[in-house]
Amino acid sequence: MSGLRVVTVLLEDRLITINRAVGLLRRRNLPVRSLAVGPTDAPGISRLTIMLQSDDATAERAAQHLEKIIGVREAAAVLPAAAVAREMALVKLRPPAERYAELLDVVQLYHATVVDESSDVVIVELTGSEAFVLSCIRALERFEILEVARSGTVALESGATAPRTGTHPQLEAGVR
Amino acid sequence: MTEVLTGAQIICRTLLEQGVDLVFGYPGGAIMPFYHALPEYPGLRHVLVRHEQAAAHAADGYARATGRAGVCVATSGPGATNLVTGLATAHMDSTPVVAITGQVPRGMIGRDAFQETDIIGITQPITKHSVLVEDVEDLADSVREALTVAVEGRPGPVLVDVPKDVQQAKAEWRSRAAAAPPGRGAVPPLAEAVRLLAAAERPLIMAGHGVILSGAYEELRRLAERTGMPVITTLLGISGFPESHPLHLGMPGMHGEVHVNRAIQQADLILGIGLRFDDRVTGNLAAFARGAKVIHVELDPSEIGKNVPTEIGLVGDAREILRALLAEIAPRDCEAWRAEIAGFARPRHDGFRGELSPESILGAIDGASGGRCTIVSDVGQHQMWVAKLYPYRRPNTHLTSGGLGTMGFAVPAAMGAALARPDEPVWAISGDGGFQMNMQEIATMVQEGIPVKMAVFNNGYLGMVRQWQQFFHGRRYSATPIWSPDYVRLAEAYGIFGRRVERGADVDGAVRDAVAHPGPALVEFLIEQEANVFPMIPPGASLSEPIEGEPAAPRLVPA
Repeated sequence: MSGLRVVTVLLEDRLITINRAVGLLRRRNLPVRSLAVGPTDAPGISRLTIMLQSDDATAERAAQHLEKIIGVREAAAVLPAAAVAREMALVKLRPPAERYAELLDVVQLYHATVVDESSDVVIVELTGSEAFVLSCIRALERFEILEVARSGTVALESGATAPRTGTHPQLEAGVR
Repeated sequence: MTEVLTGAQIICRTLLEQGVDLVFGYPGGAIMPFYHALPEYPGLRHVLVRHEQAAAHAADGYARATGRAGVCVATSGPGATNLVTGLATAHMDSTPVVAITGQVPRGMIGRDAFQETDIIGITQPITKHSVLVEDVEDLADSVREALTVAVEGRPGPVLVDVPKDVQQAKAEWRSRAAAAPPGRGAVPPLAEAVRLLAAAERPLIMAGHGVILSGAYEELRRLAERTGMPVITTLLGISGFPESHPLHLGMPGMHGEVHVNRAIQQADLILGIGLRFDDRVTGNLAAFARGAKVIHVELDPSEIGKNVPTEIGLVGDAREILRALLAEIAPRDCEAWRAEIAGFARPRHDGFRGELSPESILGAIDGASGGRCTIVSDVGQHQMWVAKLYPYRRPNTHLTSGGLGTMGFAVPAAMGAALARPDEPVWAISGDGGFQMNMQEIATMVQEGIPVKMAVFNNGYLGMVRQWQQFFHGRRYSATPIWSPDYVRLAEAYGIFGRRVERGADVDGAVRDAVAHPGPALVEFLIEQEANVFPMIPPGASLSEPIEGEPAAPRLVPA
């Protein structure tokens, strides 16, 4: 059954490795909904979070293909129900002066924050699931949105799952 | 032992240290430091090709023949891009090729320098791994890693891109013993597979390249004999099982014999060993082996269930898993099932007019080499004849570009195979189309003394494309008639043995003379112009819908 699937990847934080991982998604023609990449607590290791619009088997195969890339430490397909998945968005608005109070109500309703104000332009920061972020952006549309920056979804599997440590098995068996 | 060496010397020393004694290459600006160092290492033989594509194919042919990494070298820019087809060929067929490319100096990378290309970026989807060496201190380990990664696990091509100034920089070099080959790994639980194999009434073995890559010939033969299961070999599995064995059925798929494909369609269990269930094997997936449960033995877990729904995936080395299966599986027979399959057989459609049939030519090649020879085929109609009609007796004696289907592969790949197997004839069998794609390599054979025997099946057409035009495009022979030079005079121009065969009576003599001749030899066979490969599953059709003879009327173009 097709739906949103999360694939999380721990990989060396080098452009070439990230390039390989993302290139694989393109080459295998995978239905990517969003990508997010950033550092982890481990030095030299980044986390790439891939949201796929796919069935379980496709997500599982994507993880298997990703794990073959040298420099990828771990890739796992995670059921959305078994993960916490969030994204952040910054929304730049130019609310008419007479509706500013109304804007603040919407911001409060969505647990968002006004993080920047300059003359007539404000930037609102909001966080939540993709669906939550989308509905919040829809609610803000009536205040004249100038620009939206979304982070893409990041996710962690629920419960005690420790990422594997150590290097790629091929490197362990090899010379590095 | 520690020495201070240039990067170029480090490449040579490290290749030798890891057991590489042969590289195929072509010099140029950004790889000149390597070529400057090369004469200091006479243990490292360099074969100067005439086009870098041939260097990659020759390294591939060497790798297929030996199981060790084949190494090719090229300069930056056009030198590197000319390797691309060869690397893609190796990638599709899982063969260990290591490419070392020169790159513009580090300070010029990204500035569109002369002969700069992003070869790492270009080859990323067609290599198993690649690395740009940015520090001479990393160079030796990068070369070691490339050679290790190329051969271990599921083999594949690896590219090492070395900027010119890294080749010139100096570093301390310490020898390191070649890494021990990795263990073959654990064997998964087999009880369920054993149960299914015992319970099946119409089981089949489909054996692919994995059988050859893991050297599981003996295990495969014993498993087949223990169970009486008939064995199908895919294009790259050919010669993984004795061709003449009573349990051998043949090749499946688009040009598989009718009884082979019907056996697949009627089977209730398929034991797939080291194959990809490629579309040329399965035909229309929705109608593939609908009554069969699939057990898939495969080293790469991402292959399991990729194309075909799979009951049991057994991840691991084919030889180890077959050994473990042999220890658990009880003897049985499949006599009724084999009799049923025998009933599926049809007389082969004689697609040939005239005396020069592929059978007679291949029979002569087999006879003239006393059954000891390696066949390297190109791509097209002759490839199918060579796959189906040659009596392969020994393991890994059939080399061909299966997955990518690279025309021009045979001649350069045969150079690599001939250097790997100096004690037996190596035949490059091509059509007139593919031969003309890399025939410049005859010069390499002459200069380097590589005694490849070349057979050209000349029908004046790009035959396989012409066949598709005949069957599916209303006989519109668009751009398929192809002119050839006078191959005998071509051979003469290169100073090698050349012979044209037009009559059946001359086949044996020409082949015998070519084999007896000590150097490279070229034999042209003028075959029937519009012969077809039968049977044929039309693209997109199921294995149950073969074309078995000349279609009466032009067919519609399939989508």
